[in-house]
Amino acid sequence: MDPILIGLAGLALLLALIAIRMPIALAMIVVGGGGVMLLNGPALVLSQLKTLAYGQFSFHGLSVVPMFILMGALSAKTGLSTALFRAANAWLGWLRGGTAMAAIAACAGFGSVCGSSLATASTMGRIALPELRRYNYSGALATGSLAAGGVLGILIPPSVVLIIYAVIVEANIVSMFLAAMVPGLLAVILFILTIAAYVLVVPSAGPRGSATERSEFIAATLGILPVLVIFGLVLGGIYAGYYNPTPAASVGVFLVLLYGLLRRQISAGVLAAVIKETAGSTGMIYLILFGAELMKIFLSRAGLPQATAGFVIDSGMQPMLVMILLLVALIALGCLLDSLSMILLIVPFFWPVLVETNGGLYQGSEGSGFGMSTEDLKIWFGILALIVVELGLITPPVGLNVFVISALAKDVPMIETFRGVAPFFVAELLRVCVILLFPALTLWLPHLLSG
Amino acid sequence: MNSGRAGLAGAVGLVVDRWAVAGGLVLMLVVGVNVLSVIGNILWKPFPGDFELTEMGVAIAAFSFLPFCQLHGTNVTADIFTSRASPRWISIFGSLASFVALMFAGLLLWRMFEGMLSQKEYGYTTAILQLPIWVAYVPILVSLALLLAAAAVTLVEGTTKSEPAKAQ
Repeated sequence: MDPILIGLAGLALLLALIAIRMPIALAMIVVGGGGVMLLNGPALVLSQLKTLAYGQFSFHGLSVVPMFILMGALSAKTGLSTALFRAANAWLGWLRGGTAMAAIAACAGFGSVCGSSLATASTMGRIALPELRRYNYSGALATGSLAAGGVLGILIPPSVVLIIYAVIVEANIVSMFLAAMVPGLLAVILFILTIAAYVLVVPSAGPRGSATERSEFIAATLGILPVLVIFGLVLGGIYAGYYNPTPAASVGVFLVLLYGLLRRQISAGVLAAVIKETAGSTGMIYLILFGAELMKIFLSRAGLPQATAGFVIDSGMQPMLVMILLLVALIALGCLLDSLSMILLIVPFFWPVLVETNGGLYQGSEGSGFGMSTEDLKIWFGILALIVVELGLITPPVGLNVFVISALAKDVPMIETFRGVAPFFVAELLRVCVILLFPALTLWLPHLLSG
Repeated sequence: MNSGRAGLAGAVGLVVDRWAVAGGLVLMLVVGVNVLSVIGNILWKPFPGDFELTEMGVAIAAFSFLPFCQLHGTNVTADIFTSRASPRWISIFGSLASFVALMFAGLLLWRMFEGMLSQKEYGYTTAILQLPIWVAYVPILVSLALLLAAAAVTLVEGTTKSEPAKAQ
């Protein structure tokens, strides 16, 4: 049987298994492992399984993932999030729609110590929702801005999905984190402008808060100093080339733990809960990574990524058209799969296509398909892919961020939340266009700091 | 996080939870090693072998989390295609997933046991501290045995109840 055909049949089976609720990791393990057995006989897989999992789980490049998950889980319990929201509200609360803007800003601040969208949405939702209700914000705007704000958790470094992307395409994590900064800030600005426009159209949705007293303003502002220190030492240290991501994340875990202990928020019980939360996310991610590795071995032995790249090249499509089609495909798939599985399943397919379209792995910017070196393309595509896969968190049918916020705001029907999040979705599409049209926004900072 | 299980299943649940917390403590130790290394780097000299201790520690921790994920159903699934399926079908799908997890745990336990024997036979060690790699396989094999037990628990629950228990 033709290997390509076996590869395609494997993909179809994978989707079928996922559709009948097989955990995505197990579906990949069954299809990937089974596929290689079919192509090369069972002996090869059986001998690879002796060390493959250990090799993958002990890979140093991935060790930063559990660290950042632990740091995010700890941050949620330490009162960092409360301090962030208090300060943001002191700065922005007096504006019309200001408390919702403050929630966005606080989400962004929390995103700078946490690498996950869901954790950001649930942590900030718990703090900001009662305040938004107190100021009589409409259910749609209150829940919509929090569901959208949660996305900032992953768009602003550190970001777990971005680390995984960097591992797959062998990009430098530091460059990826640097590249995510300007697009992340752009998202914050666009979200805040979205709220401003929303309350301009529907003034009753977001009433003005009262101005903050001078003493509260100063106290609240000083309260975010710990976040600034942690962000500065962790990501600042990485950016300055002072240490590698794993030691940096360890320092972050240590600092957040210290902050929590000083504020008397951490007990043995809290620590056990934090560890269990970390266990749930880390185990899930590592198992998916293992499944994706088996899938990758299977598909590349079947020759499917190469065939796809060849097919796209032969079709003679413009590079930009290829990119847009890939991004649209990712948005569409985002309705069905979670962001991590999507990055792990799809990027090994799409990346070779883009490399070929650009002119090869070692292509410089001269005469390349996208007008940039393949190294730059790696960074640029990573940021674009990150944004579009995260859109799945706020769109039906699965919109996990919306589910998380809905669970917290039981009095707001879920349809209202989806309605409230729609303007932010439009803002995100706008942002994808801006980043697509001006690659310099993404590439400027990594270029500046790499010299 | 009481998983609300009784008897043998309850005992498995307790061991699995504690094992995951122990793995989390290993992760905290890795954090400690890295922090010491950063401080040592500034004040004196780096912690020797921090790189390989991180690799080994994170691998041990990550494996120890797998049974926890199986038991508490934290492994992501796509539920939307079957959101209107009857409880009976959902229970059948759940049992199928548990069965696959059971087979996978058994296969990997067998293969990684062989893997440990070859690591030992060839005397592979880490580069700087010369720690034998096979030692790391011992807690990992325990994790896989627990994964096997956890999958058995979810399989039995799936075939006796309409909905697999989720405890989070």
